[in-house]
Amino acid sequence: MNKHSTPVASSRVLSKLQILIVAPWIAGLIAALCVAGCNKSTEGGSGGGGASSGGKKKVAFVSNGVASFWTIAAAGVKAAGEKVGVETETLMPVEGISDQKRIIEDLLTRGIDGIAVSPIDPVNQTELLNRAAKRTPLVTHDSDAPGSDRAVYIGMDNYGAGRLCGDLVREAMPKGGTVMLFIGRLEQDNAKRRRQGVIDAILGRPSNPTNFDPPSGVIEGNGFRILGTLTDQFDRAKGKANAEDALAKYPDLGCMVGLFAYNPPLLLEALAQANKLGQVKVVAFDEDDATLAGIQKGSVHGTVVQNPYMYGYKSVEVLAELAKGNQAVIPASKFIDIPARQIRKAEVDAFWADLKAKTGAK
Amino acid sequence: MRKILGISALLFVVCVVTASLSNSFLSAYNLENLIRRTALFGIISIGVAFVIVTGGIDLSVGSVVCLVGCGVPWLLTTHGWSVPAALAAAVVASLGIGLFHGLMITRLRLPPFVVTLCGLLLYRGIARGFTRDQTVGFGSEYKGLRAMATGEIPIPFVSGFSLPAPWIFLLVVAIVAAVFLNRTVFGRHLLALGSNEQAARYSGIKTGRMTVLAYVISSGLAGLGGLLFVLDVNSAQPVDFGNFYELYAIAAAVLGGCSLRGGEGTIVGVIVGAALMQVLRNMITLVTTHNNIEFAIIGAVILAGVTADELVRRMAARKRARQEAAANAA
Repeated sequence: MNKHSTPVASSRVLSKLQILIVAPWIAGLIAALCVAGCNKSTEGGSGGGGASSGGKKKVAFVSNGVASFWTIAAAGVKAAGEKVGVETETLMPVEGISDQKRIIEDLLTRGIDGIAVSPIDPVNQTELLNRAAKRTPLVTHDSDAPGSDRAVYIGMDNYGAGRLCGDLVREAMPKGGTVMLFIGRLEQDNAKRRRQGVIDAILGRPSNPTNFDPPSGVIEGNGFRILGTLTDQFDRAKGKANAEDALAKYPDLGCMVGLFAYNPPLLLEALAQANKLGQVKVVAFDEDDATLAGIQKGSVHGTVVQNPYMYGYKSVEVLAELAKGNQAVIPASKFIDIPARQIRKAEVDAFWADLKAKTGAK
Repeated sequence: MRKILGISALLFVVCVVTASLSNSFLSAYNLENLIRRTALFGIISIGVAFVIVTGGIDLSVGSVVCLVGCGVPWLLTTHGWSVPAALAAAVVASLGIGLFHGLMITRLRLPPFVVTLCGLLLYRGIARGFTRDQTVGFGSEYKGLRAMATGEIPIPFVSGFSLPAPWIFLLVVAIVAAVFLNRTVFGRHLLALGSNEQAARYSGIKTGRMTVLAYVISSGLAGLGGLLFVLDVNSAQPVDFGNFYELYAIAAAVLGGCSLRGGEGTIVGVIVGAALMQVLRNMITLVTTHNNIEFAIIGAVILAGVTADELVRRMAARKRARQEAAANAA
């Protein structure tokens, strides 16, 4: 370690150089922090910062990750907050389950009048959710944690929505054929149930949400062959590679089903590059722009859309009531259904226009 | 040369095994996909190799991929920049990041690990900030620009197979890099710096400048890789775009014979290393239905390959020593 052997004179020159090098970066950093600060205060829900927090209840809406889906939900959160007069905050964990835990713990430490959360791993997060539920009203949205003490689940029945998606597959392929499923990950409850619903509907099984077919292995029946389920852990390049590999492995593949919002656009990319658009049926989930454009063009048969806006809106509405001590908003079933719907070519234009109006997109 | 032999043999064996288990492995479509993926990962791996050759490390590659991959579509679609302006911004940003790393490391004498680790956090954070965590992409626009990554170049007299465009980028990058590293004074200086920085400095090599250059190359190629990745995938979410790609790149470089202690490395080896990773991933999807054990298989095969390589080298060294001893005795 003989790195300090530079003569004294030149080291003085060096230190000036060092200042010259570092100063602009520090200036840039400060500027960046200022910009970030400004953005934060304009984004911060109805209150616009902590100053006006006197007396107003504060509720938080926690997602399971970062996605355009959650931006739509955040719009609903904000709208409901303004209507019922509570301060709202939408938080999106970046690094999965540990980040979601940190967010919930920080909210509890800081003090909050209600939390709505989409648990990433409901079974193993029960303890955390129960701890949170002891200290503040807690509801789940989007994905349920049925074993926890949450007050209510607000969302759709993912199994049912999966079945709607499976029905679209049968519609797209009236003669049956081979089907490949693509999904981000399978550990969360909504993903498992959604996938199972698709499989059960394709195979024409009676409705039974407790079914479970392991992701590896071919499932056959009703004229269909479900070849497998490929996961990508949210790495889009991997998601696209999965689609390409499936096309390589099964040159006569009949239908590709993308079950997380970003999957169908990746399927379309892979198909376009393989010159197989329209040749292989695509059935989608959620309302990515590329998916909706695909339905308009006919390269996607249809999609099943949830109503994330209402997830956000209803969560805030319910939490605001619970914060006031009004338990009457909780139905006996502990389930507030925000139903999913199928969008095909006939419905897509009206749906897209409504979506743009709600999110304020161009 | 001998170092590449081991890894090339491993790649060959994996290819043969996969081809015998799956008849779609050698289909033109699959080979095109593999070549495209190898090219994309190869480009960022060559960049990292330059830093590793000097005995440094660049952990910020994935985040630079993210910054450029999200930044270019964001500038084009959200801000309506022209294509040349957006590309110029990408070049300036990625080269600027490399320059920044290099100067922090040589002038402030901060450890490369720390500087580039902070870079890893910084650039992804910046990308998340300016996009406000929104997914960005080109939609159905910019088909011409996207042809850089999705285009295919027909090969004369061969039908049914064409070269994916990123391969051309890889080829150019690889040739320039190989010539630079092996045939120019700068390249020799870079290697000399990696094997013994002090000795290199005392023999008159401007080690500081060479180090800065290595980081500029690394970030520059990460930027090019990020651009090609997003042109290929057509959608980027700043939270996870390019996540962990620094590790794929470092693994490919090390597999290809770049010593983490610096001083050695070949460009062809790095490309073979990148190809091995992609073929393994492809194999797991084509041959098995156990998508989820992918990383386990990649880890095991690489570890086995590196171990075998090391054992063979030791045996060769021992044999040589024995022969020399015998020759001396005689």
